[in-house]
Amino acid sequence: MDEHGFWWLLTIACVLWYGTITAYVAVRGCFEIRKMLARLKEDRPTADQQPQ
Amino acid sequence: MTNFNWLVDGSIVGVYLVATMVVGIMVRKYVGKVEHFLVAGREVDVFLGIASLAATEFGVITCMYTAQNGYKYGFAGTTPGILMATAMLFVGVTGFCITPLRHAGVMTIPELFEKRFGPRVRWAAGMVIVLGGLLNMGVFLRITGEFLVLVGGFDVSHLERNVVVMMTVLLLLGTIYTVVGGMLSVLVTDFLQFIVMSFGLLAVTLLILTKIGWSSLAATVAERHGPGGFNPFVCRGMGWQYVLFNALECLAGALTWQTMISRLLAARDARTGRRIYTRTSFFFACRFVLPGIWGIAALTVLAPEALAGLPQTFQGQNSSLYAMPVFLGQFVPVGLMGLLLAAMLAADMSSTSSYMITWASVIYNDILAPLRKTPWSEKRGLRWNRAIVSLIGVFLLFYGLWYPLKGDVYAYLLVTGTIYLASISTMLIACCYWERANSWGATAAIIVGAAIPIACLVFEQVRNMPPDEVQLWRCYSGIVAFAATGAAMVLFSLLKPQTAPPQSTASLEPPVVHSS
Repeated sequence: MDEHGFWWLLTIACVLWYGTITAYVAVRGCFEIRKMLARLKEDRPTADQQPQ
Repeated sequence: MTNFNWLVDGSIVGVYLVATMVVGIMVRKYVGKVEHFLVAGREVDVFLGIASLAATEFGVITCMYTAQNGYKYGFAGTTPGILMATAMLFVGVTGFCITPLRHAGVMTIPELFEKRFGPRVRWAAGMVIVLGGLLNMGVFLRITGEFLVLVGGFDVSHLERNVVVMMTVLLLLGTIYTVVGGMLSVLVTDFLQFIVMSFGLLAVTLLILTKIGWSSLAATVAERHGPGGFNPFVCRGMGWQYVLFNALECLAGALTWQTMISRLLAARDARTGRRIYTRTSFFFACRFVLPGIWGIAALTVLAPEALAGLPQTFQGQNSSLYAMPVFLGQFVPVGLMGLLLAAMLAADMSSTSSYMITWASVIYNDILAPLRKTPWSEKRGLRWNRAIVSLIGVFLLFYGLWYPLKGDVYAYLLVTGTIYLASISTMLIACCYWERANSWGATAAIIVGAAIPIACLVFEQVRNMPPDEVQLWRCYSGIVAFAATGAAMVLFSLLKPQTAPPQSTASLEPPVVHSS
């Protein structure tokens, strides 16, 4: 493969990877945020320790 | 003139900004402790971590310097991205340094150093991290403001006024939700910003590849840069010294760059942290390649005299920085322009907010807190953290206004980053894997690692160097900084008399390893 071919492959790989990962992370990340906020809600300090 | 339309594109940008602010402020109610504010209660899982790390490490400044690399060096300009992806993959797969770091249960790297090298080293390490980090981040706002003025078609005859307005608005927006919600707001808004940013980045790249075409881009690089446009070792302005310095910086950055480490330390456990590293690794190649294509497209489409019409401030040695925004302003159509600007705002806000919270965490945790005999209450600690984030915002505004940037933006970022990357990465490796390492070695590493890059910055300001010379000078001084720091760590550690058996690196392991 010549050096132009390497850069062409890399560019295509970047476009494909970025497109795929964005969609996947968008879906899975939503679930993780919900779980994280639920866990943090349980971990909140009692009323007298709440920040003002 | 640009293709920006206030009704169509302005509305898209407006919707994005309102959504980000609402989401960022809404999660405030979940912040009850300092640990929530600084490391989101260590509840971050893999995909949120990937989105947050990717959004943080891609700002408008990234887009500008990577496009500048593409414009100036062709495809060879994307070399730092390939090196960074390799470094992230290596660290993620092996767990090199990051596994013991996460196991130690600390909130910052200097906190880990206290366990091996004592409280003074922790404090000094905190100081150089903050110094290097803030100087590095100091140029973000101005570059972003300039990008928005050029792409948005604002009046360049009142350039300084418009840039200052942009800088202030951007800073205020990012600061507001960071101050109220800390790392939690940063993570959730990062997620939203990652999605918007990715769509914008992909859409513009695909438009370039379909409208201009790969062959034209490759032909332009071959014509303007010759073989050097495809090979960094023979590229004018790069060469082996550029590749070596970048390889060192990338490995050190993967190990110790505070915004990356904060994701590791906020992760649920070491395994999650490693997976975030491994799965984000290729993103670091993308973040150089895709905007690099924008820079090459600017080289292909713009006539050389197109940059001559820019204001005096944009002329001279750094004019190549502005080729990409000038090109995009004319190339991207109405509608997509709104998505592009929203994407760039998303990129900037996620970086600014993340950087502010991570440097604030070091100032609070490693510089201020150790000075107190009794720890602050959670309530007071939160107030301090919010005040620190606000003060960092003020610093950024003033530094961005007054610092005169010379040479490549990327080279500036490398040098300022080296102020702490050289010493902290050396200390981290020694701390984790060398039992003979001690406080003398650590102190010497901090002094040497900071002194060389600072001297380099001062010297290049005092002596009026031509741009090519500045570039080479920065590479050599960076390589010397890493080598000298490593030598100082080893030499001074060996010089310190051994009064007691050295503390084992095994002491960094927790009694029980948290597994998912």
